[in-house]
Amino acid sequence: MDELELLKKDWDKSSTNYPNLNNEQLYKLINKKSSSIVKWIFIISLLEFSAWTLISFLFDGAESLEKMKSYNVEHIFYPLTIFGYLVLFVFFYLFYKNYKSISATDNTKMLMEQILKTRKTVKHYVIYNLLFVYISIVLAVYIELTNNPEAQSMLTSIESEGANNIYILYLTIIGFILLAMAVVTVILLGIYFLIYGLLLKRLKSNYKDLKALEKAI
Amino acid sequence: MKSVTEQNFVVLLQEHQNIVHKICRIYTNDSDAHKDLFQEITIQLWKAFPKFRGDSKFSTWMYRVGLNTAITLYRKSLRHVQSQRIESVEYKLSYEEYDDTKDEQLKLIYGAVRKLNDIDKGIVFLYLENKNYKEISETLGISEVNARVRMNRIKTKLKTQLNS
Repeated sequence: MDELELLKKDWDKSSTNYPNLNNEQLYKLINKKSSSIVKWIFIISLLEFSAWTLISFLFDGAESLEKMKSYNVEHIFYPLTIFGYLVLFVFFYLFYKNYKSISATDNTKMLMEQILKTRKTVKHYVIYNLLFVYISIVLAVYIELTNNPEAQSMLTSIESEGANNIYILYLTIIGFILLAMAVVTVILLGIYFLIYGLLLKRLKSNYKDLKALEKAI
Repeated sequence: MKSVTEQNFVVLLQEHQNIVHKICRIYTNDSDAHKDLFQEITIQLWKAFPKFRGDSKFSTWMYRVGLNTAITLYRKSLRHVQSQRIESVEYKLSYEEYDDTKDEQLKLIYGAVRKLNDIDKGIVFLYLENKNYKEISETLGISEVNARVRMNRIKTKLKTQLNS
C-alpha cells in the first residue's frame, strides 16, 4: 500500500485523540505573551541588582569603606546605602507585583492597564537610579573636599592667594560634577535602553495589538 | 468582562482547535515543541483575527494562518520550533507517536514526513486533511502545477527513504 494512504488512515483514525482546550485555557494562551515579558523585567531587575552589588564588592567596596571610616562620615554613608537598598527592594516588589497581576489578568482592558503600569514602573526605576547616582556624585565630591587632607591644604593655599581663584576652583568643581553626571547618564541610559528598552518596546507592541482589537469591535 | 471579539474568537478557535493541533503534529517532534507551536499559532491567529472578514470559512483561514506560522517559524530555526519559552497553559498531549508507536511502519512514515522541507510538510498535511490540489495551492500560495509536481516528488522521496 502507498505510504501516504497508510498515513492517511492513521491520520483519520487519530483525529479524535487531540487535546481539547477549553475557552479559559485558550483565553490564557492568547494573553500570555505580555506576562512573559513582564516576568523578564522582574528577573532582569534582580540580575541587575546582583551585578551592581557584586561589582561594588569586588572592586572598591572595602577600600572606600575604609576611606569613609577615616573621614568619619559613616553617618551619611550608611543611611544612604541602606536607603538605596530599601528603595531597590521596593522596586523589586513592584516588578514582582506587576508580573503577578499581569499573569492573573484575564481581560483585555485590565491587561492594557497593567502594561501601562509596568512601563511606568520601569521608567520610575530608571529615573530613581539616575537621581541616586547624581546625589552620590555630589556627596562624594563634597566629602572628598571637606575631609581629604590634600584637598583641604589645596583649598587653603588657593584661598590665601585671592578670592578670585576660589571662584574659579568652585566653577571647575561644578563643571567636573556636571561632566561626571553627563557621562553616567549616557552610560546608564545606554544600558537601560539595551535591557529594558527592548522589552518595553515589545510590551508596547502588545499593547497596540490589544488596542487595535478593542477598536475593532 | 471579556470583549465580544475575544469571545467570538475563542469560541471559533475552540471549535476548530484540532486543525492547529494537527499542524503541530506534522511540524514538531515532541510534546514541548507541540505546545510552543500551538501557542504561537494561537497568538498569530488572534493577531490576524481583525483582518478575517469572513469571506472564507474560518477553518480555511485557520489552515492558511496556521501553516504560514509553522512555516515561518520552521525557517527561523531549522532544527525545531522554539519560542521564547513562554510558560504554557498546561494540557495533556497523548499522541501515540510522541511515545512509542505500536506500529513500527507508521512511526517510520511519520519520521520521513518530518524530514521533508517546510512547504512539502504543508502539502502532506493538507493532503491528509482531504484537500484537493486547488485548495492546497491556494492555502500555501503556490501554483496548482507546482503543488502536483511537489506531491509526486514527495511520494518518491518517501518511498526511497522508507525502502532504503
